[in-house]
Amino acid sequence: MSESKVVPISTRVRRRRTPAPEEEALRQRLAELERELAASRNAEEHEGLVVTLARVLHAGARGVSWASLARLQRAVYFAWHSEETDEFGADRRFAETLEPFLDFLYAVWWRVEAAGAENVPSSGPGLIVANHSGVLPYDGLMVQLAIRHEHPAKRVCRMLALDMFALLPVLAPLLSKSGSVRANPENAERLLRQGELLGVFPEGVKGVGKYFRERYRLARFGRGGFVRIALRTGAPIIPCAVVGAEEIHPVVAKADWVGRPIGLPYFPLTPTFPWLGPLGFVPLPTKWSIDFGDPIDLGGHVPEDADDPILVNRISEEVRSTIQRMVDGRLARRRSVWFG
Amino acid sequence: MSRIAITGTASYLGGRVLRRLVEARGADRVLALDIAAPPTTLHGVRHRMVDLTLPGADQRLVDVFQEEHVDTVFHAAFFTTPRRDAAYSHELESIGTLHLAAAAAAAGVRHLVLRSFTAVYGARGQNPNFLTEDRRPDGRSSLAWVRDKVEAEEHAFSFSRRYPGLGVTVLRFATLLGAGVHTFYTRIFSKRVVPVVLGYDPLVQFLHPDDALRAVDAALAKGPCGIVNVAPRGAISLLTALHLSDKLTLPVPHVLAYPVADLWWGSGVGEAPGGFIDYALYLFVADGEKARRELGFEARHTSRDALMAFLEYRYPDTARRAKEQREREREEADSREAQA
Repeated sequence: MSESKVVPISTRVRRRRTPAPEEEALRQRLAELERELAASRNAEEHEGLVVTLARVLHAGARGVSWASLARLQRAVYFAWHSEETDEFGADRRFAETLEPFLDFLYAVWWRVEAAGAENVPSSGPGLIVANHSGVLPYDGLMVQLAIRHEHPAKRVCRMLALDMFALLPVLAPLLSKSGSVRANPENAERLLRQGELLGVFPEGVKGVGKYFRERYRLARFGRGGFVRIALRTGAPIIPCAVVGAEEIHPVVAKADWVGRPIGLPYFPLTPTFPWLGPLGFVPLPTKWSIDFGDPIDLGGHVPEDADDPILVNRISEEVRSTIQRMVDGRLARRRSVWFG
Repeated sequence: MSRIAITGTASYLGGRVLRRLVEARGADRVLALDIAAPPTTLHGVRHRMVDLTLPGADQRLVDVFQEEHVDTVFHAAFFTTPRRDAAYSHELESIGTLHLAAAAAAAGVRHLVLRSFTAVYGARGQNPNFLTEDRRPDGRSSLAWVRDKVEAEEHAFSFSRRYPGLGVTVLRFATLLGAGVHTFYTRIFSKRVVPVVLGYDPLVQFLHPDDALRAVDAALAKGPCGIVNVAPRGAISLLTALHLSDKLTLPVPHVLAYPVADLWWGSGVGEAPGGFIDYALYLFVADGEKARRELGFEARHTSRDALMAFLEYRYPDTARRAKEQREREREEADSREAQA
């Protein structure tokens, strides 16, 4: 053990005193390289703008990674979506983002005048039944806003969106995040049993896509599904007449064959769409009025009456004629499409 | 002494159920059936090699069931991930279940529990927001993956009708997501860039594996009760889930998405055939009410919890960021409420 300590020390000392010739060569090469490096640094300082830019861009491109792009996208997404929705997909932050735009449409663009909002029950379930029109589902959003703004209890009303809207790209998530749900009996019944306020347009596609010449003539009310649900859940029906929406996109003709390949049930041609491109999506600034009529209480019936098709059809027809009367009354008083 | 047989013990859920039952009831009360041996960490578990795709599988199963005194079978031999070898999947899932149900009926098995998927309802535009068990599964789906599962369910029920002694429970689990789960979903959630369908953002459900195990426990304890959905609490929007996982999403128009996905799948690169795009467009959210009513099972974890469990396991940093964001959002909501 003691021997092994002594031997290496003595050898190391001896080597330092006589440097090997190859070590000397290495040292010279190092000095040469340092001189070259200094020269190239000097050259870099004097190189042109283009080369400098290229270097910066290259460095920048190396800095952009999938992860940083993903984080950017995530920040943009969560700026107007919250990560929690209710069980039907309504997103509070999304609705708040949309609010200024919808309020502008409500108060400035269409100057909506809502009357009779107190006819909507201030608590418990209710089914608001309205006439449908306007190509795009603006009327639903405006009925929703009318109740939020004018109703004493500021209730939230969820609209039942037509399947066709609930299936269209962009529009589908927009509607469900702003609180609408797909119109089908299961959804409607579930929400009414939870005591929510629902808005429904029984005319469906026949109403929203009607020709300009058919304006304010209510189409058939489906097969009375809304009546069956009201009977089953005991929710009162509140008739609602929307006037002004039928002129926002006047459909003068239809070219359904254009829309069919991309899954559209119809393809409207209006004076502006599709001729003016994106401008064709701008609705005309008509003057709107939304009237809520006296609630129709179906309390005199039993839930089993929902299976009586004759009765269901009769009630459905009554509701339709009530709304038609309300629409006609408002039209008779209206002097101008634009100023009411 | 009667035993519980578990098929597909090499699968994630089958393996977890096997381990759970060994821990709860002892190794001598369970029997593992698979072509692969169960994990060596499980001591004393009886394993019988059975290949459900062989022509004589039913006779072999009858022998095994009788020799081992099997009175309950948990059938988990299903592919959670679509396979390119559709013929083999069909043999295993549809025909394999036919063999298994026939053998169970012949051997006097009391209770057959089938592992199924909420995806069998099919993602369709007409679906209500919550699918209940009386909704017919999509037997005409374009996906062989779905059709095989639907056929397997039908085989089990047809034997239970013919042999009243055999009770059947079909547990339709929502998409499993959590630590250790490996499916095509987790593979998609492990990519840096995920293609999504432009303008669609449906709600999706992710089931935490712990909830899945508790549901199996409840079903085994309760006895036969037909089809039962095993759904998590709440749902999460697909884009929210992807952005929480820090994915870069690449929007593709839906008319393009189907052919591109099919091409991608056909060329051996894609994770799933084009038919699965439906599940990124439309809802297939299951209602867990029947499980609550009849099994007394209620999920403890939300869809977001399941996603977070997966992220914590796969991407701890991302999970931490998502947690921080959640806390920020909660604080914001609290301060808003305090103001109001």
